[in-house]
Amino acid sequence: MSSTTDVRPAVGASGPGPARGHRRGRRGGRRRGSDRAPFRRFHLIIYLLLGAFVFSTASAFAWVFNVSMKTNAEFIGTRPWTPAEGWRWQNYADAWSSANVGSFFGNSVLVSVSATVLGVVVSAFAAYPLARIPFRGGGVVLGVFLLGLMVPWMVTFIPLYVTMQDLGLLDSRLGLALVYATYNLPFNVFVLVGFMRTLPGELEEAAAVDGAGPTRTFLRIILPLTGPGLASVSIISFLQNWNEFFYALVLIHSPEKMTLPLGLFQLGQAADYGTNWVTLFAGMIITVVPVLVVFALLQNQVTKGLTAGALKG
Amino acid sequence: MHRVAQRRIIIPFLLPALLLLGVFFLYPLVRTVDISFTEWSRTGSYTYVGIDNYTRVIDDPGYRNALKNAFLFTLVGGCMLFPVAIAIAWALHQRIHGERFFRFVVFAPVVLSVAVVALLWKFVYHPTLGLINPALEGVGLDVLARTWLGDPATALPAVAFTTVWHGIGIWVVLLSAGFERLPPDVLEAGRIDGAGEWRLFRSVMLPMMRDLFRILVVLWIVQSMQAFAFVFIMTGGGPFGSTDIVGTLMYREAFERSEFGYAAAMGVILVVIMLAVAQIVNKVMKRDELHY
Repeated sequence: MSSTTDVRPAVGASGPGPARGHRRGRRGGRRRGSDRAPFRRFHLIIYLLLGAFVFSTASAFAWVFNVSMKTNAEFIGTRPWTPAEGWRWQNYADAWSSANVGSFFGNSVLVSVSATVLGVVVSAFAAYPLARIPFRGGGVVLGVFLLGLMVPWMVTFIPLYVTMQDLGLLDSRLGLALVYATYNLPFNVFVLVGFMRTLPGELEEAAAVDGAGPTRTFLRIILPLTGPGLASVSIISFLQNWNEFFYALVLIHSPEKMTLPLGLFQLGQAADYGTNWVTLFAGMIITVVPVLVVFALLQNQVTKGLTAGALKG
Repeated sequence: MHRVAQRRIIIPFLLPALLLLGVFFLYPLVRTVDISFTEWSRTGSYTYVGIDNYTRVIDDPGYRNALKNAFLFTLVGGCMLFPVAIAIAWALHQRIHGERFFRFVVFAPVVLSVAVVALLWKFVYHPTLGLINPALEGVGLDVLARTWLGDPATALPAVAFTTVWHGIGIWVVLLSAGFERLPPDVLEAGRIDGAGEWRLFRSVMLPMMRDLFRILVVLWIVQSMQAFAFVFIMTGGGPFGSTDIVGTLMYREAFERSEFGYAAAMGVILVVIMLAVAQIVNKVMKRDELHY
């Protein structure tokens, strides 16, 4: 595993370190014009390069949106960039109710919200002693949590399936939520331990002098101060749980329990053999829009968090 | 004094997390090795067969094909990823107008579900209903049009491209951090010596970021050898096994043929190979520390 351990310091050092608060960095987003380099000729190449990327991405999404407004006959009969004949919001209604996207959406909300809450609460409690109470074996316990960041999914999914079967949690939303919460833990603990360690060491002493017990100290003093860290892990966990496909595929079989990514995959399979494409495209837009809105609002936090999570593989 | 009281909360605080981790992660992890030594029947009973699964995997032409494709996928994807990601990170380093907007667009695909992105691109590649072929015909390049995902020659690169498109934002951010850590005085010295931007990029920036590249390449190998979802959704391993990688092969063995033991052995072997390759690449790309 030593090859993967090499990755951690670099990632930690390359910016997303949650504990370092606001970096004085140039990508803080609040730069003034005076900080910007004067225009040079080679900047044209840069704009061309980035513009090409933006254009391809934007046109892909515009195309999906356009198709979602067409009829199936139009989709087959017209060129891909021919604008739809009208605003067929009906496709969205169809996707939502008759193609079950509404039910997938509900399952996704249920599973990802409960998994995120459980994962964040449990890891906040676990992170506290690991970060701030020195005890024998603490390093080993932390190591066990971090192990979860490095072990490939390939070696765990079959036994996980068998274990879930034994526990009667196969094909259950509760089981999926528990699995998601567990797979959020290593990253959450990693970030929160780092965050809690930056808080001043006198906090507990002062609280003890004032007569607060350790649980009270944690709940009333440490937890509120960890707010930004908690926000960060909550957003990342939610995005990951909302988008997760593989474990949903392995653990969920009944259509009425499927989450959005899995449900869309099923619709995609059906579209291969059927003729109902536009509903699938409307479903894609329904899946994508909430995530893009969250990302647009919380860009910096998401970027930092997901980059730190890149080592999760 | 409060230290004593603190000790009492250690176990109750850690317990819920350790319980979850134990049941859904550590126990399955330990069980993998156990399962890889067993043979499963469709009814769910199993018997120990020693290292039979491992010897079978080694002789399995399907596994060798999957392994070859996994390497190819890693190589092709890496060649698409790194030049573009480095170029974009460099461009964003140039303090240009609209940097925040460009960062948003480059990173946006990362937050989308793999399932959605794979479906989107599956349709983009569609030979008649998609976006690419009609566009090529539109500009008169009909000769380049093909059934991207249906042709064994183009299917793997097409899927690799989609994977890269989805994940490039993370690599750009990691590389951007590398560019920002370059010591400004060295770059300034280069400029004063009359080096152009290209020269500066090639002779100063790239060599100084070599260690970061090494780490990112290892990370890419570890990630892409485990690729699954894009291949599974876009091609399912076809056409003619040309995109079948270890992940999809394992999935089929486990859930279509109930060969849990055999699939587990495949996973264990892949992880061993993957770590070995990562280690070798790490060694090869390593060189003595340079001081500037």
